[in-house]
Amino acid sequence: MYGFHAISTHNGWAMSIAGALIVFSGLVVLVAAISQIHKILQFLENKYPGFQNNNKIQENDEPEEQPESALPTIFPVELDAIACLYQPLIKELGETFYLSDLYKIAKENHFPHPHITFTAFRDAKILIPHGEGVFSWNSPIENDTTDND
Amino acid sequence: MDLLFQFLSNTGYYLADYRNVIMIVIGALFLYLGTAKKYEPLLLVPIGFGILVGNVPFFKGFGLGIYESNSVLHYLYFGVTTGLYPSIVFLGLGAMTDFSSLLARPSLMLLGAAAQMGIFFTLLGALGLGFLPKEAASIAIIGGADGPTSIFLTAKLAPHLIGPIAIAAYSYMALIPVIQPPIMRLLTSRKERLIRMPELREVSKKERIIFPAIAVILCCFLAPASIPLLGMFFFGNFLKECGVTERLAQTARTAIIDTATILLGLTVGASTQGDVFLTPKSVGIFFLGAVAFSIATASGVIFGKIMNLFLKEKINPLLGAAGVSAVPGSAREVHLVGQSEDPENFLLMHAMACNSSGVIGSAICAGILWSFMIGL
Repeated sequence: MYGFHAISTHNGWAMSIAGALIVFSGLVVLVAAISQIHKILQFLENKYPGFQNNNKIQENDEPEEQPESALPTIFPVELDAIACLYQPLIKELGETFYLSDLYKIAKENHFPHPHITFTAFRDAKILIPHGEGVFSWNSPIENDTTDND
Repeated sequence: MDLLFQFLSNTGYYLADYRNVIMIVIGALFLYLGTAKKYEPLLLVPIGFGILVGNVPFFKGFGLGIYESNSVLHYLYFGVTTGLYPSIVFLGLGAMTDFSSLLARPSLMLLGAAAQMGIFFTLLGALGLGFLPKEAASIAIIGGADGPTSIFLTAKLAPHLIGPIAIAAYSYMALIPVIQPPIMRLLTSRKERLIRMPELREVSKKERIIFPAIAVILCCFLAPASIPLLGMFFFGNFLKECGVTERLAQTARTAIIDTATILLGLTVGASTQGDVFLTPKSVGIFFLGAVAFSIATASGVIFGKIMNLFLKEKINPLLGAAGVSAVPGSAREVHLVGQSEDPENFLLMHAMACNSSGVIGSAICAGILWSFMIGL
C-alpha cells in the first residue's frame, strides 16, 4: 500500500497533526513556566527576606569563589586600555588557554560584551589563535596591569 | 593440504562478497570524513571503524558477528537494542548543557518546537512510501537530527532498522555544514540575516537549579515515554547546576558519555553488515532522512520569520535552523552564516538556546510517537 491511501489507512494524518500540536503545546507550557521562574524568585526574595538570605549564604558557600572585580566604574573605550584590564585574567589562565575559559572568567568578572571584545583582540593580534580553540595572549603594553585601577 | 584449503575457505578473502566491499568503502569514507575533514569525528570515527569491523566476512556459527547471539559484539550491541546507550548519552549531554541562554530568552524554545515539524512531515512521507507505521515513526525521528533519540526510538519500534537509521541520522548530523547553510540562505533575506540579537540577561544560579526539576516534570508528564531520555538529560543537568555534585557531573560529561559514545558508535557501525544493510529499504531511509532534516531546518527558519510578524523586537530567523537538536553543530552553523554577513553578529549563544530546546523537543516527539504506536 502506497501514497495517500497508505497514510489514511494507518491514521497518518491524525498522528502527524496531533503529534505536532502536542509537542508544540508542551513546549509552550514549558516556555510559560520557565519565563516565570525569575519573577517568582524575585517575588519570594522580596516577600521573604529570609529566602534571599538563605540563598545568599548558599551562594557564598560555593567552592568557586568569584574573584573581586577589578573593573573601573567607567569602562575604557581604547583597545589597549581594555587589554590592560584583561591582563589579570590572562595571568590566571596561563600562557595558552581556551577562549571559552577566557569568556567564562570574563563573564564572571562582569566584563561587558566579551564576544565583541575578543573579536577586536583577534583583529588587533592581541589574541593569537593556535587552533582547536586554544589561544595565547600578545600583550600590547608590556608589564602594565594596574594603570586603570 | 586439505587443512590448508579448509583454512583458506574460512578466510575473509574467500567469503567476501560485493556487499561487504561496498560497506568497507563506506566505512573508509566515514573515517576519512571524520579524521581528514573533521566532520563530527567523535561520531564518525567509531561508526566508521565499526563498519569496517562489522563487514569483515566470517564463517557463520563461530559466534563472531553482531547478530549471532553468543558473540562479544552482540553483548555490546545489547546497549543499543535496549536503548541503554542513548539514555547514558543523554545523561552526559545534560551534564554538559548550559541552559542559561534558554532561560534568559525562553521564547527561543518555540523555534526548537517548530523544527520538530520535519519529524511529522517525514512520518507522512514514510507511510506514503509504504513503510509500516512503526518503521515510519522510526524513520521520521531522523528529522530531529538527534542520533541517540533516533536509535532509542528505533530500538523500541523497529529494531531491524537500527543500522540504516542510525547511520542516516549520524551522517546527516555530520553533514550539517553542507545541508543547512543553503536552506538558511534560500529562506532568508540578507536584511533578515543581519538582524542582531540583544545581549542576554544574567541568569541566576537558582533559576538554573530549578529549571531541570520543572522541565522534567512538565515534559515527562506530557510524554511519559520520553522518561528514559529526558529523565536522564535533566538529571545530568541538575547534577551540573546544583553545585554539590560537581564530581558526579564531571564524570557524567566525560568518562560516562565517552564510554557510551564509543560503544554506541562502534556497535551501530558493526550492525551494518552488508547482507543486512544494503537493501532497498535502506536507500528509502537515507532519502527520507535527508527530506526530514531539510524540512526540519526549513520549518525552524520559516517559524522564525512568522514570529517576527508579531514581535516588536525582531529575532534573526537563522536561529530557527538551530532548532534541530544536532548540538552544537547546527548552532555553530547558524553563527557562521550570521557572521558571513556581519562579522560582528554573535548568534552563538542564542542559537545554543534553540539547539538545547531542540534536544528536548525531539525527545518529546520520540515519546509521543512511541505512545502512538502502542497497540499497533
